[in-house]
Amino acid sequence: MSDEVKWTKSMADVNRDILVNLQSPHPSYYVALSISILLVLIGIATLAWQTSYGMGWAGITSPVYWGVYIVDFVFWVGIGHAGTLISAILFLFRAQWRNSVNRFAEAMTIFAVLSAGLFPLIHVGRIWVAAYWMFPIPNTNNMWINMRSPLVWDVFAISTYLTVSLLFWYMGLVPDLASIRDRVRGLRRFVYGIMSFGWRGTAKQWHHYEAGYGFLAALATPLVLSVHSVVSWDFAMALQPGWHTTIFPPYFVAGAILSGCAMVFTLIIPVRFMFRLEEYIKKEHLDACLKLTLLTSTIVFYAYAIEFFIAWYSGNPYEWAIFEKRAAGPYAFYFWTMVFCNCIFPLAFWSKKLRENLALSFVICILINVGMWFERYNIILSSLVEDFIPGSWGHFQPGIAEILITFGSFGWFFMWFLIFCKFFPVVSMSEIKLIMPKPLSPKKIQALSQGEH
Amino acid sequence: MSKKQTGIVANYQYLDEFCTAIETVRERDDFTGFEAFSPTSYHEIEHASGFKPSPVRFFTLIAGLTGTCIGFALALAMDWDWPIVVGGKTAGIPSLPAYVVIGFETTILFGAFGTIFGMLFFGRLGNPQAHIVEERATDDRFTIFVPGVTAGSEQATLLKSLGAEEIKSV
Repeated sequence: MSDEVKWTKSMADVNRDILVNLQSPHPSYYVALSISILLVLIGIATLAWQTSYGMGWAGITSPVYWGVYIVDFVFWVGIGHAGTLISAILFLFRAQWRNSVNRFAEAMTIFAVLSAGLFPLIHVGRIWVAAYWMFPIPNTNNMWINMRSPLVWDVFAISTYLTVSLLFWYMGLVPDLASIRDRVRGLRRFVYGIMSFGWRGTAKQWHHYEAGYGFLAALATPLVLSVHSVVSWDFAMALQPGWHTTIFPPYFVAGAILSGCAMVFTLIIPVRFMFRLEEYIKKEHLDACLKLTLLTSTIVFYAYAIEFFIAWYSGNPYEWAIFEKRAAGPYAFYFWTMVFCNCIFPLAFWSKKLRENLALSFVICILINVGMWFERYNIILSSLVEDFIPGSWGHFQPGIAEILITFGSFGWFFMWFLIFCKFFPVVSMSEIKLIMPKPLSPKKIQALSQGEH
Repeated sequence: MSKKQTGIVANYQYLDEFCTAIETVRERDDFTGFEAFSPTSYHEIEHASGFKPSPVRFFTLIAGLTGTCIGFALALAMDWDWPIVVGGKTAGIPSLPAYVVIGFETTILFGAFGTIFGMLFFGRLGNPQAHIVEERATDDRFTIFVPGVTAGSEQATLLKSLGAEEIKSV
């Protein structure tokens, strides 16, 4: 893979070129940041209103007790999957293209999981007692959380995932923060010096660092695959038709990686443009990201098909009724949007020519993100809205609070991401140096080329 | 390291010359306490330095196993303290398969912390007074620092002959 990449820059350019983001950014940066903060404020105001008024305002009512907030939760956890996949699994597979995108894919993971983590709290309404049902905290009732519940597993899975992703990301940052420390002066030097733990880059430090990084990748690999499996058990372990299927864990993991890769691509394009990173995040790297998107999209396509087939083949009339309703009932719009966005449009990525068309790929990746949100909406809402008591059946429409808080969560995500882009290197400088041509002496290069002939 | 060591710094532009220099100086006894710095982790440098496998792995293993025990212990202790007798289960017989998830997550969590602490410990990190001998060592130059010698010494001449583009006293 690296042989095909035509590097026009050398190791000496890396720090200077990548750290331009520490200088004053383009005005469009402030516009984007202001919009994000505005969305966050709208979200907070809506949440305050909802907290004082009650959950009815959000549109959550019997039998739909899991509404758009849970959709958002699953959506954001899914987005958060690409980062650690790219940094851990692709690291173990020695896929070199990861070195150019892993840093902000990891950052994206962390901010996405931070967004996801808000939703269980928002969803329960009374945020201030949430810690008691989530974590094993001693209380006056002398009761513990139910360790047999997938919801409690989920708390453990998501908080472990957030912590490990954060450690992994920060560990990668340490040598880069030391690079910044050695370039800046005054107070900034002091702050980056503290943040880099006094990293010096000795051969010994690198030796232990590499060993640690490998182990962290090995630990994070099963974690990535487990987190969305655990999220899927929130549904699959319930008896609800449409949820109670064994295909859910792999199906959710593939969907999560699909949405994550699409989000990585969606963020790469503007970041690459804003900070002039075209020479570092090369076309070949983008191409590899799109190929991964295509792969997971076809897995998701297969999962949709097999889920439908099994609903029919199992002969379970309740299961089949839900699926019929999804495809041809009042929620057909959500279903077909999902199918087209996640399965049909990404098929364009089979063509190398279309993959090279960045504008088109960008649009398709945004559509995949939309489609993945609709997928969760489809799974959660269309199953719940007609439960076991036909008398309570009805139609579900997202409430205004749900819509505003969903947009607020996008603001929250982009706000953190933009702040990250301003103060940290968006491309891992120490790792991209590894995939660039090695700085060998002219003598050595000559010797090598003679050896080849 | 409150008092900073003095010595010489030799900068190399090329990786292969740097590796040869490491291999040469680590065999000699007049380079005691030398340090090699690089902007990133080339495996060639690791081979040239002849390191043994990093002991960070024991930190990972022990912390991970501790995590497994803590995860299961947590779930079992709560089961014992507040049995939830549902689904025809008898109180006192814990449903271990359900606790595998908890044990798994805590294994990863503790293992990750153990790895990080191992890396920090063996790399002597968390050092606010780190001695930065050459700022370009985190940018694009490979650096060898030899404490206690001067720029005119025999050691400096040797490093120069191995391809150093610059020798400085620090």
